[in-house]
Amino acid sequence: MAAAANEPQSVILTINDIEIEVPRGELIVESVKRIGLEIPIFCYHSRMKPVGMCRMCLVDVGFKQPDGSVRMMPKPQAGCTLPADNNMVVYTDTEKVRRDRKGVLEFLLINHPLDCPICDRGGECPLQNNTIFYGPSTTRYVEIKRHLPKAFPLSKYVTLDLERCIQCGRCVRFTEEISGDSQLAFRFRGAMMQPSTFELTDFESRFSGNVIEICPVGALTSAEYRFRARPWDLQTKPSICLECSNGCNTWFDYRVASLVRINGRTNEAVNEEWTCDKGKFGQNYLNSPDRLTEVFVRDGDKLIESNWATAFQQVSVAFQSAGSKCAALVGGKASNEDIFMLKRLFTEAFGSNNLDHRWTRCLPKSDALYRVATSIADFENEPVIFVFGNNIAEEQPILFLRIRKAWFRNDAKVIVACPEACEADTFAHTSLRYRPGTEAVLLGAIHRAATGAGGVDIAEASSITGVGEEAIRRAADAMKSGFALAASRSLLDLRNGEHVVGALSNLTIACNSSEKYNLFATSANEEGARQIEFMPSAEGKNTREILEACASGEMKALWLLECDPLSLSHDNELVTKALETVEFLVVQNHIKSECVQFASVLLPACAFSEKDGTYTNLERRVQRIKPIIAAKGSAKPAWKSFGELLLRMKGDPPPFHAHEVMQLIAASHQKFQSAIYENLEGEGVVIPANQSTEPQAVDVEYTAMEVPSNTP
Amino acid sequence: MDVIQISDLRGRPRAPRPEEVNLNFSEKAVRELEQLLNHYPDKKSAILPCLWIAQREYGGYLPSEAIAEVALRLDRSYAEIEGVATFYTMYHVGHPTGKHLIEVCTCLSCHLCGAYRLADHIKSKLGIDWGETTPDGMFTIEEVECLDACDRAPVLQISDQYYGPVDDKTVDAILEKLKSETSPSTVRLADEIVQAQLHKRDQEKVSGN
Ligand code: SF4
Ligand code: FES
Ligand code: FES
Repeated sequence: MAAAANEPQSVILTINDIEIEVPRGELIVESVKRIGLEIPIFCYHSRMKPVGMCRMCLVDVGFKQPDGSVRMMPKPQAGCTLPADNNMVVYTDTEKVRRDRKGVLEFLLINHPLDCPICDRGGECPLQNNTIFYGPSTTRYVEIKRHLPKAFPLSKYVTLDLERCIQCGRCVRFTEEISGDSQLAFRFRGAMMQPSTFELTDFESRFSGNVIEICPVGALTSAEYRFRARPWDLQTKPSICLECSNGCNTWFDYRVASLVRINGRTNEAVNEEWTCDKGKFGQNYLNSPDRLTEVFVRDGDKLIESNWATAFQQVSVAFQSAGSKCAALVGGKASNEDIFMLKRLFTEAFGSNNLDHRWTRCLPKSDALYRVATSIADFENEPVIFVFGNNIAEEQPILFLRIRKAWFRNDAKVIVACPEACEADTFAHTSLRYRPGTEAVLLGAIHRAATGAGGVDIAEASSITGVGEEAIRRAADAMKSGFALAASRSLLDLRNGEHVVGALSNLTIACNSSEKYNLFATSANEEGARQIEFMPSAEGKNTREILEACASGEMKALWLLECDPLSLSHDNELVTKALETVEFLVVQNHIKSECVQFASVLLPACAFSEKDGTYTNLERRVQRIKPIIAAKGSAKPAWKSFGELLLRMKGDPPPFHAHEVMQLIAASHQKFQSAIYENLEGEGVVIPANQSTEPQAVDVEYTAMEVPSNTP
Repeated sequence: MDVIQISDLRGRPRAPRPEEVNLNFSEKAVRELEQLLNHYPDKKSAILPCLWIAQREYGGYLPSEAIAEVALRLDRSYAEIEGVATFYTMYHVGHPTGKHLIEVCTCLSCHLCGAYRLADHIKSKLGIDWGETTPDGMFTIEEVECLDACDRAPVLQISDQYYGPVDDKTVDAILEKLKSETSPSTVRLADEIVQAQLHKRDQEKVSGN
């Protein structure tokens, strides 16, 4: 503070004769928002560096002179590149400014085609809006406009209409600054300057959908959404993406009760405003003909359409006669409410504790290994980040963007250990490309290099892992005085997963970073299931044991909620055997999956857009979804069906609304107390971590493991 | 609602993967690039001189392999390098130029002194229009903005040589002379620029003293 004393952190300036105090260096375009004004813009985007390319944001600027007079600058200034300073006098709405804006818009429109009536952006187009508010009503340009390819398919998601481009550079800067793949650049110059990929090849990016949203005109449009609706025909509601564990906030745009498109919704704590392509374009299953909408029960080798009453009848008979020999498994898309009510059904009505939500090969008992301590937003300010395991851009795309931002904005040192080439390598301080199977050895070597003891010999490790000794030392050097770990639970799919994760934990403890240890969930509500403890207690069976017991005929009845074991499990042989053998199988899902063929009873569930509930993302942020479109056919929210079954079997009054279920959850799980529905508006609520005791170093075998090569 | 199929064109050919790109720089070029990289704080800064090396190595122009090679050697994206290369008119991106590039200035002074008439003469003599190359691959003719030699208008630039003032006769003589020259002047120009870049640092040191 003392050093900054002679350099005050805030400045005082006047905007439209109103005096305000703003942080030093804030851009005028941001400062004016503080007094409720807005400057029209095209190229400026608050999450990217200003470039001043479009000149739409012109303002009149002057400086107060010592004698009290104001000396105006002769030319207008671009508000998006001008930092606020003391004695500055800004006018955003003088005659001169209005005239200049008109001029800028007239120029921008010279080459812009007048195809608004057939343009996807029409109705939500910044160019349209700015022209209406600030533009000239006619043009003096009568010459021929520039002609360029229209509707060029840049990728399977993005269509480029070069004639409409106003050359603001937002899309180009997005790929440079935010997603980092630099897939787009401006080719040529002057009026012919065109954003494009290298020789118009495929726009390969995980985040390409965002450029559609930030383009201020209709130059970049969504290939899927093209011509399917006009913005004013759409209804839009807030929603959450369930494609991975990040829990991005989205706008769900729908029309005639079906999804038309997904857009990013701002949540500074989670996704800022970005989405990945998986989330933006991967939700078409909602309208798919494979949706499960009716109840089916088995009759011989056929499944016949039935109703809930019959199904409940059969289910209660079968599960009651199975006694404690029944089990339930859930997948990642079940909500907190669903999971809690299913657990209640099993523990209270069926007297069974065979419950699990984990599908990884290793299922360590220790809760400490599943810790998550750092929030997504906190990663931005971590000076050293260790990304370990599979490609993080693939598994946690939005977390990847934060980590990239930590490097881009704050010069974080990011150490990336991944068995294959990955996006994070492009900004890595050190890249450790190890041979698959040698995870534990690599961690052992870093451990030794960072602490001088424990772990394994560095030279030996280097020859086993294929990572150079120097790289290991360099990484260890950066990490030894503390780092934040970003790893995912898919590591537990390794055959020695428990040792690898143990090694990670030991390493964080050795580097005094155990409060920055993070082993992130991989599916939407995996963390929620963990917090609700949808796991076997002492005498219950875990996923593997359940499947084995089903296969051996010991387990009589199995309930699958929102999951397809055939795609989730690594041991399909066991799964097939289990599903074939188990006497009574309930499959409850929003969509038909392969395991439907084995089902005794098929129950339709609501998809996320059709129900009320909450999801817990990888940082334990509980976020609410609300029903947007009506349930299909006889589908109902899963939690509701469990409540009804409980009523039939035990006479318990069922909860009628999801918020009642949350109250029940909060009553039995203290940490959910802050997550009652009234608190969930806005950014959602992060629930506290388990009060686990100080993490202890665990015994780890720092050995490599043979990996069968997949190459044929 | 079904997805309405707008076009079957969806999906583009993909850019080459790094391992699919042939690196064609000669040993000399690689050495030059290494030396150049010492001049700058980061690889990005070396894009322009590296493109000159590539233009020399690839015979006076930049085919897409050249762009890809420069991108890989400097750890930039293909698109970024292509963007830089297409911005500047002295890089010839995509299509080969003739061995000798005739740049005719048609800016004001030259225009007044008959640049277009002169250009017409060259064009009809060679049988090509602006931007075209003679069938024997000898000449390309291009229109350029002020060459900053207005006192000698009308002016031609061929490689690093300025010719002016020129008339039909002198131009004919120049063309004849060039025909007998076997080494392409476009490549020579690229090489000269690379050499100048390589020595820039030393020159700066000298002039700084
Ligand atoms: S395509 Fe859109 S975002 Fe990209 S430069 Fe053109 S107007 Fe801007
Ligand atoms: S918004 Fe300021 S120049 Fe574009
Ligand atoms: S106008 Fe031709 S050199 Fe200046």
